[in-house]
Amino acid sequence: MGDYFSFDRFLVRIGQITPYVLVNFKMVFWAMLIGTICAIAVAILRLKKIPVIEQILIVFISYMRGTPLLVQMCVAYYGIPIVFGNLIYNAFGINLNRLDAIVFVIIAFILNEAAFLGEIFRGAILSVPTVQTEAGLSIGMTRLQILFRIVLPQAINVAIPQYGVDLIGVFHNTALAFTLGVLDMMSRARTLGVSTGHTLEGFVVVAIIYIIISLILKALFYLLEKKFQYGRR
Amino acid sequence: MGFNFSYFVTSFKQALLYVPVTIKIMLVTFVVSFIIGTIIGAVRFYKIPFFSKFFSIFVTIYLGLPVTVALVLYNLIFLTCYNDFANFFHINKQISDINPIFVAYIALIAGYSCNLSETVRGNLRSIDKTQFEAGYSIGLTKLQTFRNIIFPQMIPNMIPGLLNNLIGILKGTNLVSTIGITEVMVAALYPCQETYSYLEGYLAAAALYWIIGIVIENIGHFVIKFSSKNNKEVWNYD
Repeated sequence: MGDYFSFDRFLVRIGQITPYVLVNFKMVFWAMLIGTICAIAVAILRLKKIPVIEQILIVFISYMRGTPLLVQMCVAYYGIPIVFGNLIYNAFGINLNRLDAIVFVIIAFILNEAAFLGEIFRGAILSVPTVQTEAGLSIGMTRLQILFRIVLPQAINVAIPQYGVDLIGVFHNTALAFTLGVLDMMSRARTLGVSTGHTLEGFVVVAIIYIIISLILKALFYLLEKKFQYGRR
Repeated sequence: MGFNFSYFVTSFKQALLYVPVTIKIMLVTFVVSFIIGTIIGAVRFYKIPFFSKFFSIFVTIYLGLPVTVALVLYNLIFLTCYNDFANFFHINKQISDINPIFVAYIALIAGYSCNLSETVRGNLRSIDKTQFEAGYSIGLTKLQTFRNIIFPQMIPNMIPGLLNNLIGILKGTNLVSTIGITEVMVAALYPCQETYSYLEGYLAAAALYWIIGIVIENIGHFVIKFSSKNNKEVWNYD
């Protein structure tokens, strides 16, 4: 192996790269926060089956499921300034071409999550048998009471494991953001490699950070899953 | 800057030429990963000593590694260490003669084998215990039982999971562009380098992936229908 990998450089890289994990967390945080809100809207709209919106949402979800995230990010990065550039410049005075790439990456994530999480939530709500709703109606609960006291607690039970898998997936996908020039762990490892001539250690550090955080997230969602098992303990 | 339809058509035509490359990467990855995934899943299900523990730790850790990072890392190891490796084994081949697609295959297959092994293991668990016992009762070995009784029953239940994995792999083939392999997305961008208008190229790539995805999904739904119809005819003994 020669001089390609040295343990001392590896230790130095840990200190240099770890702070940039916050950039990845920032992307995951905003994507999941706004993505979840959008996904709830998507799920509700699809369950209501409003004629035109239903078809639009089916096409939207099919697009988000059928195209790679990297392509979606690039379409957002190059497309949003062209389509909405003038409008937003006139309304808010923000020049979209000057904005940081991370904004477009987060927008791509949000749209992607709206589709994926929307399907997860819809599936979870549909998985609650209709007898449960009827049981609520029979004892005179209102629709909202049924939703919050009967349907949602059971739906959360189904949705949480899938939500966890999805969140870890988003965290993994933030590794793509460096292709658009977002300064996250990957591009930090790359720039350090270019400036010092030793690239390998940096990417090994990135890989280890991804693995550790994924395992932590998995463990957290396992505990959460245990906590939300209403009536099945 | 605006959307130019003729650029879009040029990009789309260029990308169309590279669809076979993407399909080939997808199918090779899928088939090899499925075989390896089945082996890993079966080893973990039957709790074969040592290997079961090893794979359960390996899969858990490896699922935490994004395919992108794995690709970049393996490519880097390949680029830096190939010469030493070749000297050690006396391989008379320059690094430029070796197609980087092998690195892509290794990274994709390693990642998706772990995913598929989880799918296989989940389905193995869902199979009734009596099916195993039926095999053993007529004197079949574990391997024979698995091959002749368990595996054929798993396939129909597994198809939706496999379909999801296949579409995941289709989207994963897009990542190999990060290590400089030309596939649909990179090809769609070739014409853009003359016009500096990249949106059309990415939209063309998106449209093409979308079409391939829809075709795969429809084939999958057809297979599901077909297999469930067959199931009823063959397995209505109870």
